[in-house]
Amino acid sequence: MATELIPVSVLTGFLGSGKTTILSHLLRQPEFSRTAIVINEFGEVALDHELIETSEDSVIALTTGCLCCKVRTDLTETLHDLLRRRDQGACTQFNRIVIETSGLADPAPILHALMTDTALARRLVLGRVVTTVDAVAGEVTLEREAISRKQVAVADRIVLSKLDLTTGGEASLRSCLTALNPGAPTLCAVYGRIESDNLFGAASHDPKTRVFEVSSWLAATPEHTHSDHDTEIKSFTVVRAEPIQAVALTLFLEALAEHCGADLLRLKGIVNVAESPQRPAVIHGVQHVFHAPTWLSHWPSDDRTSRIVFIARSLSRQWVEVLLDAIAAEVADVSAGNR
Amino acid sequence: MSGVSIGLVRELITASLAAWHVASIVETNDRAVVIHGKQKIRIEPAPADSMFRWTITIDGRTRPAISLLAVLRQVRGALDPGYAASRVHIAVSPVVPSSWLQS
Repeated sequence: MATELIPVSVLTGFLGSGKTTILSHLLRQPEFSRTAIVINEFGEVALDHELIETSEDSVIALTTGCLCCKVRTDLTETLHDLLRRRDQGACTQFNRIVIETSGLADPAPILHALMTDTALARRLVLGRVVTTVDAVAGEVTLEREAISRKQVAVADRIVLSKLDLTTGGEASLRSCLTALNPGAPTLCAVYGRIESDNLFGAASHDPKTRVFEVSSWLAATPEHTHSDHDTEIKSFTVVRAEPIQAVALTLFLEALAEHCGADLLRLKGIVNVAESPQRPAVIHGVQHVFHAPTWLSHWPSDDRTSRIVFIARSLSRQWVEVLLDAIAAEVADVSAGNR
Repeated sequence: MSGVSIGLVRELITASLAAWHVASIVETNDRAVVIHGKQKIRIEPAPADSMFRWTITIDGRTRPAISLLAVLRQVRGALDPGYAASRVHIAVSPVVPSSWLQS
């Protein structure tokens, strides 16, 4: 019998950006009653879990230390332990897991751990990355703290917190967020309250409509740059009208992983694969870790172009474009019999 | 012999070196791309009887390359001493289970 996969989402955001407040509010909502929370705190004395009120059906697990540095042991062991307790009936039959990272954590290694642990993959499916940003101090934090920019860059959802403390002057902050990650919808939290509906669904997937959420990240504008820093984060979309051969796509992703590594913060795309014209492939990667392509049953719209969205640090769009062209040309050449 | 134009190879090498912040001059010379940098590198289509597609000569030493990706790997290895390639890692789980996509 197939086991129902449990979405595991990541709630991240810089120190003081309101993660715990928002989580505390969400856990009081009936629809969040069967949620397991993994809280990571960076400090000698863990406090956040004391600040969270939950229903009796919720489960809280704690990790200390820097989650992104010890992720392969601490986090995966915690998740295995949670699942074991669930299976043994030692805790509630939770149907969702939310990992609250410390404010200093890099979310990418956490995503890697979730994507690459074979045993966890049989039970869990990667959910959304939700990043909180303080509407009051967020712009200064983004300016000063590279990790906060990375937290925003990898997000599927951005939540603006502390809007109750602002006087409506957050337009500049919104502009920064759009520059870093134009594809992620920005939601608002007032006094920690936020519309919880679908906040922590499965990544790139809307459980209500049961279709991929391609529209939001493909709607990303052609190119945004957040370039006021040494570590420049850019987002851009590579578009191809001609179908891409499967081998060319594979080699292209391999080259990106090989040469960009940690600078490729997030890649998502819908690709018209030459060998599968009716069923587009959805690709998704975080740094050098990629999911195997998911094949949609049909195109979500009349647009049959391949569109690949990049969010990356110091990555040249020109290089990406010519790399894809060169690989496609070579694969076409080989396919034509030219050795 | 490769049917990929030497102009496209030059464009790829030029863009790659710029992306890797490797200072050098790239020129096309007699159906070959030549890089003048920390080392002199010549990239050209392999001879017709070779099982490889490309030939790379780095400071006088010639070696074959089976694809443009292999060319890039060798060029970067020669010119960018701090380069440590990441290998692509395929996640064990799908983005979304296929059963979820059935309406």
